[in-house]
Amino acid sequence: MGPASLDEALVAAAQGGSAEAFSRLVERHQQALRAFLRRTCGDWAQADDLAQETFLAAWSRIGRLKAGASVRAWLCGIGYNKHLSAVRSAGRERARASVYEADRETTQDALPEDRLALERAMAGLPQEQRACVALCLAAEFSHAEAAEALGMPLGTVKSHVSRGRARLLQALGVCDDAS
Amino acid sequence: MQADDRLKALFAHDEPLMRDPAFATAVMERVMRRRFLEDVALLCVVSLVGGAVFWVVWPTLQPALVAVSQGLAPALGAFAMAICAMVILGGRPSSDLGLGT
Repeated sequence: MGPASLDEALVAAAQGGSAEAFSRLVERHQQALRAFLRRTCGDWAQADDLAQETFLAAWSRIGRLKAGASVRAWLCGIGYNKHLSAVRSAGRERARASVYEADRETTQDALPEDRLALERAMAGLPQEQRACVALCLAAEFSHAEAAEALGMPLGTVKSHVSRGRARLLQALGVCDDAS
Repeated sequence: MQADDRLKALFAHDEPLMRDPAFATAVMERVMRRRFLEDVALLCVVSLVGGAVFWVVWPTLQPALVAVSQGLAPALGAFAMAICAMVILGGRPSSDLGLGT
């Protein structure tokens, strides 16, 4: 059984009320979701909290997931909305940016220079651009899959990825071999 | 695509573990807690609605029940016990009541 058909079988079982099937979905997709949220939030602890919230919401809404839909994209979409809600409701974007910077300061010695540069550049990207970059450049989502997950038009995703990529490469001092 | 490969390699440092039982357990604990609360809420609602219905129909129901209770009481008692055992030992109240997951 391939990954997609295994997901489909697990989703069908979870829609029937199987907590065990849902638990397997959590195991299979936690890495992708948490990685996406870490890159989008910048704050790993908060990203993990949001990932837990995302799975809770997914459990409640699993009945709405259509057969054959990408579970990974669906989860990332819920996670992204949770992230946006957290940012909006508490007006924490500035606070988070300062926490993000503070975190970087404390771990600066342990991180290679270009990782630091990448994280700083990611933190400097606009919210939507960061999410597109996190999905398409870091997690190998197709543009269409990212557009579906984030609820954005395909062209917008392409443009966010292209601009974000250019800014990251510039921050790293890497020559853009695609242009 | 050297530039993209380099970006990908740098992003790889953010990846959590492929298997993280502690995280999965924490999520499932919260899921089960929510499920339990949903069950409790459902049972409360069913009890309240059932109580209200009985309160409304009791004046009509009582004479009829008295009339048939002599004959049906043992059978109804056994049936009620079977339902209780099924709910406690077997499935979940929502599915047993035919209300889905």
